[in-house]
Amino acid sequence: MKQNRIKTRYLVNFAALIVLFAVVVGMGMLGGNTMKLKIAPSVWQCSYLIIMAASLNLVLGFLGQLSLGHCGFMAVGAYAAALISLAFQRAGFYTEKAGAAFFLVLLISIAAAGVSAALLGLLVGIPALRLKGDYLAIITLGFGMIIVNVINNLPFCGQQGLSQGSASSALYASGLGFSNDEKMQYLWVAGLAVILCMTCMFMFVRSKYGRAIRAIRDNEIAASASGINVSYYKVLTFTISAFFAGITGALYACCNAALATSSFSFTNGSILNSVFIVVMVVVGGMGSLTGSVIAAVVLFLLNYTIKNGAWVSALPAFLQNVFTYPMLVYSIALIIVIMFRPRGIMGSREFALCDIPQWPGRIKAYFTSRAAGKAARKEGKSHG
Amino acid sequence: MKRRKLLSLLLALCMTFGLTACGGSKTTEESSGDSGSAGESGGDTITIGMIGPLTGSLAVYGTHVQAGVELAIEEINAAGGVRLGDASYQLAVEIKDDQGDSTECVNAMNALISDGIQLVVGSATSGCTSAITSIANSEGVVLITPSGTADSLTTTMDYVFRTCFRDSFQGELAAQYAADEGYTKVGIVYCSADTYSSGLRDAFADACAAKGLEIVAEESVASMTEVDYTNQFNKMVSAGAQLVFTPFYYDVMGPYLVPQARSAGFTGVLLGADGVDNTETTIPDGADLSVYNDVMFVNHYATELATSDVSANFVSAYEAKYGETPNNFDALGYDAVYVYKAAMEACGSSDAASVQAALADTSVVYEVSTGTFSFDDTGTPIKTGVLMGYSYTEGDAAVSKVAVKTLSLS
Repeated sequence: MKQNRIKTRYLVNFAALIVLFAVVVGMGMLGGNTMKLKIAPSVWQCSYLIIMAASLNLVLGFLGQLSLGHCGFMAVGAYAAALISLAFQRAGFYTEKAGAAFFLVLLISIAAAGVSAALLGLLVGIPALRLKGDYLAIITLGFGMIIVNVINNLPFCGQQGLSQGSASSALYASGLGFSNDEKMQYLWVAGLAVILCMTCMFMFVRSKYGRAIRAIRDNEIAASASGINVSYYKVLTFTISAFFAGITGALYACCNAALATSSFSFTNGSILNSVFIVVMVVVGGMGSLTGSVIAAVVLFLLNYTIKNGAWVSALPAFLQNVFTYPMLVYSIALIIVIMFRPRGIMGSREFALCDIPQWPGRIKAYFTSRAAGKAARKEGKSHG
Repeated sequence: MKRRKLLSLLLALCMTFGLTACGGSKTTEESSGDSGSAGESGGDTITIGMIGPLTGSLAVYGTHVQAGVELAIEEINAAGGVRLGDASYQLAVEIKDDQGDSTECVNAMNALISDGIQLVVGSATSGCTSAITSIANSEGVVLITPSGTADSLTTTMDYVFRTCFRDSFQGELAAQYAADEGYTKVGIVYCSADTYSSGLRDAFADACAAKGLEIVAEESVASMTEVDYTNQFNKMVSAGAQLVFTPFYYDVMGPYLVPQARSAGFTGVLLGADGVDNTETTIPDGADLSVYNDVMFVNHYATELATSDVSANFVSAYEAKYGETPNNFDALGYDAVYVYKAAMEACGSSDAASVQAALADTSVVYEVSTGTFSFDDTGTPIKTGVLMGYSYTEGDAAVSKVAVKTLSLS
């Protein structure tokens, strides 16, 4: 009976993923200006934010270690993918951004981005993960800044190599950078990347490795006493997380077509920086991969629509003034989420399609237990 | 409990608004799209787009470009609008904030294009502008950057123009000034990680080599927002530099770089580029103002040195509207709109392809507030620069910005 239920859940999820992928592919085939100029770029941006938030969740939510330099791995991935694609182009491996040769280069660049970030994650993780809590946060913060500075000062990448006008147009004209039309054409790449990466991460946290790292999060000493090799699992998780961050870097390079290291810094004006990724994980729920997906999409839409949506101009003038400072709005949103859902939107639950029929019951149970709790508190007060 | 419920309602509203805005924006898009394309179909408004950092650490740039653009549009509309053939059109502007970030800039550009806008002014910094030049070219939308000075912005992109000069020209002007004043030993403090700073440094160093100036010391800092320059200036002093080239932005010049250079014992000229403009706004309260003497910078434009009628009109109109003296961002944004107007009237259309063709004509001379110029074949104006500086005499309430002289390459 139980076996059967698990089987159904797998089947439902699998079908849902196929439907989702079909929708993305279908969207790529549609035409139209809104599709090309607004929706396709948004899907690309969402795709890297989703994988980014989810990969940080492995470290922050499942392993319980605070890493503040996650965008550093993304930067490594982005520059690795960009440079590799440009190298292939210069070697004459492909001339136009279509066909099997380019597709192969795209795959190689994405994979190489992941692997190079993972290698770096391993290098950083081995010494860093012997530290705990604040100290680990500081060392990862430092790492994120070091990476940005190293990239900036390498003559063949950095600002001078890739982000100046003509060089960035080189990435755009002959490398990985996609124009709006190509973003439409390769929209399915973004969709597939999200689906594959999320599936891998789900499989990881549900496996014996995932159970081991959750044990480490809950009680390191107890986990160690039960025979779990704590440092091995920590470094493993950190490396896997870095691998996925590297892949997001490659997606970012495709989507943005111009690389500047300021986009990967600790904080900056946009929603892509190490701090904001932590915010996404916290808002979504530490220990909930679906929560990270929801938070990434919601925060992206909030940011995007504040700047480009129509609803802000429909507001009264005094509210519009608030929205001209988007950072203010994010902090208000964050405060509200933390006030009402201290453990994030999803807590440590996962969203599952098969659970939807049980939602009314759960919501009812939640309110009854709250009412009971309130009554109990009142009783306690009157006695006291 | 009631308060809690109210707040959660607010949150829910926030989220719903956010999620439904995608659907909602479609309707307004069509209406503004109409006004954008109305230029061709015989309506009476042409909408141009503007992108700039209106919030964030470089907000001064964006807001000043915006002020210039809005002033120009107001003037043009008051004077009867843009005349295309027999009909005249009013101008309108749609403004987007990029927060100085390239991803946001790309989103803003795409949003403007999907609103049917064909002519865009933006963005204020080279980094952001380089992210949207390729979109402008592939979507066939004309882009004039008021202040993106990186050399390569316009070189490969037919649809990209600018109203400012380019970095290498600015660096050459700075070296020219140093040579004219008879300095022989110069130093450079710059940020190798930044497009703007390192581009200027390269141009300045090359020009120095050509003019026989010796670069005695060269130091780089980690980022454009660095707050400690003491070590760099200690080295400048011990190497005996008479003049130090400092291509930084105003946000570090006022509070950090200048006071630290002076306290490290450097007494010579600190020579910067256009990013140093507006330093007077970032000098901390209670600072020793005499340290800002001999801080000079190459700039696009100075109200005192601009004597043509167009410039004088611009300055008086700006002062009447905003109650302050315009800076170069105001002037360059203002000029961008007038260049568009001239190009539209020359080709008799507001359609991007014809305007691009009109702008690409290198023989046309534009007489605008920052001087008289024509575009070279990359889309960069050929013009002169000015040297400006800060001066403070004992007893003044604040430092004053003075225009020293007009610079041109000999």
